[in-house]
Amino acid sequence: MYIHQHTCISPQQTNGLIQLEEISISADGKLLAKEPVLEGVPPAMLRRMSKAVRMGIGTGLPLLKNNVADGIIIGTANGGMEDCIIFLNQIVDYEEGLLAPAAFVQSTPNAIAGQLSLITKNRGYNATHVHNGLAFENALLDAQMLISGHSHKSYLVGGVDEISSYNYNIDCLAGWYSKIKTNKHLYTDKTPATIAGEGAAMFIVNGSPVNALAQIKAVSLFHSTDPGTVVGRFKDFIAEWAPVADNTIFLSGENGDLRQTPLYESCEEVFGSAIPVARFKHVTGEYPTASSFALWLACYALKEQNLPPHFYKNEHNLSQVDRIIIYNQYQGMQHSFIFVTQ
Amino acid sequence: MGRIVVTGIGIITAIGEVLSEHRTALMNGKSGIGKAHFLRSKYIEKQPLGEIKMATAALAEKLNVTNASATRTDLIAFYAVQQAIADACLSEAVLSDAATALVGASTVGGMCLTDEMYADANLPDQSASPYLQSYSNSANTLFLQQQLGIGGIVNTFNTACSSSANAIMYGARLIKNGLAKKVIAGGVDSLSKYTINGFNALMILSDKPCRPFDAGRKGLNLGEGAAFLVLEKEEDAAGKNIYAAVTGYGNSNDAFHASATSADGEGPFLCMQRALEVAGLKPGDIDFINAHGTATENNDETESVAMLRLFEKVPAFASTKSYTGHTLGAAGAVEAVYSILGLQNQEIYPSLNFEEPIASTMQVPVRKYKKTHLRHVMSNSFGFGGNCTSLVFSKI
Repeated sequence: MYIHQHTCISPQQTNGLIQLEEISISADGKLLAKEPVLEGVPPAMLRRMSKAVRMGIGTGLPLLKNNVADGIIIGTANGGMEDCIIFLNQIVDYEEGLLAPAAFVQSTPNAIAGQLSLITKNRGYNATHVHNGLAFENALLDAQMLISGHSHKSYLVGGVDEISSYNYNIDCLAGWYSKIKTNKHLYTDKTPATIAGEGAAMFIVNGSPVNALAQIKAVSLFHSTDPGTVVGRFKDFIAEWAPVADNTIFLSGENGDLRQTPLYESCEEVFGSAIPVARFKHVTGEYPTASSFALWLACYALKEQNLPPHFYKNEHNLSQVDRIIIYNQYQGMQHSFIFVTQ
Repeated sequence: MGRIVVTGIGIITAIGEVLSEHRTALMNGKSGIGKAHFLRSKYIEKQPLGEIKMATAALAEKLNVTNASATRTDLIAFYAVQQAIADACLSEAVLSDAATALVGASTVGGMCLTDEMYADANLPDQSASPYLQSYSNSANTLFLQQQLGIGGIVNTFNTACSSSANAIMYGARLIKNGLAKKVIAGGVDSLSKYTINGFNALMILSDKPCRPFDAGRKGLNLGEGAAFLVLEKEEDAAGKNIYAAVTGYGNSNDAFHASATSADGEGPFLCMQRALEVAGLKPGDIDFINAHGTATENNDETESVAMLRLFEKVPAFASTKSYTGHTLGAAGAVEAVYSILGLQNQEIYPSLNFEEPIASTMQVPVRKYKKTHLRHVMSNSFGFGGNCTSLVFSKI
């Protein structure tokens, strides 16, 4: 499966003019996405959209304008959850009184794929995967299966999640986020929590290598809380897909949560010291579909043939980038490997 | 490659806790819709609901689940999944194999705990409830993964009311593409304050038992349930009881409105057409349609329009939502099970509460139980956001 175009909205300057040398600093334990002005959306529609839907439209619509897509496939853990909490609050605050349905209709996670199809009149394949930290990976697998045997078909595939009051408060209570941690010291401040983030990254994919930006060679996903199982699966993945480690970056989802760091480190050790390690959660924060940003960053590294120094975990002498292996995991339970090449 | 077949079924809804109870109720036209006893909502006095006749605590006890964070949604799903796994004789070793996948679906997820979630999301300084990990759409699939130790691909769909039809489609495609050998696919939703208030605000809930495809229909009844199928290749299922083959699936978006279907039923038309294409069938090969048939003003008319467009002669059709209520994210899987039951037993279950056809389309659903010859059955599911999916099941 080949990537032909992409867009990205993130807490950094990744939309339009891309600037990743200087990075925005987190505040109150959050990295908020920088939203562009949305064009081509009716104002009445825009007013009702949550940030997740706006980011999804802001990344998806420009790609759908330039390409005929045979379908729209979105991965989002929380989708329309900001509207969900609005409606939930109305139910409780008004003791199940007479409520307006707008927030209820917008609260379903399939609002992003639905609105994109509505605006562009796309009646093709349409799916929303919501499997938390593996929602985006399942969207990729979905596209890969659709393209297999139908290489001329193109799909919009993307990952979107926002920091909503719903997920943020609940995840803070559960101990996943710290309000005092910053992205400046994310990897050195060793505590059992990380910072919250959000964003959207979308891709046009099909089966044609002609003029492609990158190839997704393999996607693997599984659940485990056992570090031995994770490393075993990683070794199997490397042996099957990426036995050659020349000109390769290991892009790690390390997020500063000391409970999860050993998982990332044990996968790094599979390569010994032979391979440069890059990290990205200090520019995005943590969110369930952060791997969609990692895939976008992999495409960027392949194009630029490097990444700005702050991404690298250690000294490296990389002069050429041909391959990127992404390992990301969510809440110590959901793991994925994505292998991307020129 | 050989066909993809169904070798295990698990289901629980308002009309039964085991498969045979569902068939008995469907054969006898016995609906499970009525006054709810376990849901806490002020609407239980006004709205008839398709509630599972078991308290949440009783479900937990029956399943031997002591985990305090398990929601009603989790438990209902686990109840159905355990039946499906036992039915298909999947061992622990098979479940933990990297080639065994689990594909779930839900629209409500842990939001059945509307009040608890309100407190956790708005009042974070108070003490947290035990449900912090239980609210998401995927929480019930994650719960099942942990209980069963699934080793392969795990996913959750949320395309509103077509969610579990998409889960079954995705499961069949995982096998077709060699990404899994065995797949447990289905969906779950439990009754919740959240959805009752939502559908009430949209004014599409009927205060009487719903009347699919009737001219005087007043809206839908909400229900709850879970259904899961075990799918595998026919050649891997030697010696097993095979219920039916999954031969077709089609997905489309209506691209018309967030909560209504277009007047010409374009989305429903396209997904039915695509399902036939995948199955390699002509419209005339379909012997019965388990319609989406929610009994809302909009759905039943537009679904009828779409059927009239696709089929020269509309096949026999009925809506089992008149038995279970609309089980939302579970509906696609629940109705897949009822389609398969009909195929297996060569019989059609009637739609309830129908009196007079819709004037513009004049389509009459099956009103009496009958034995008949069925080769291919279609099951339709349409949801908010324009998501439409049709599945085709064929006799073995």
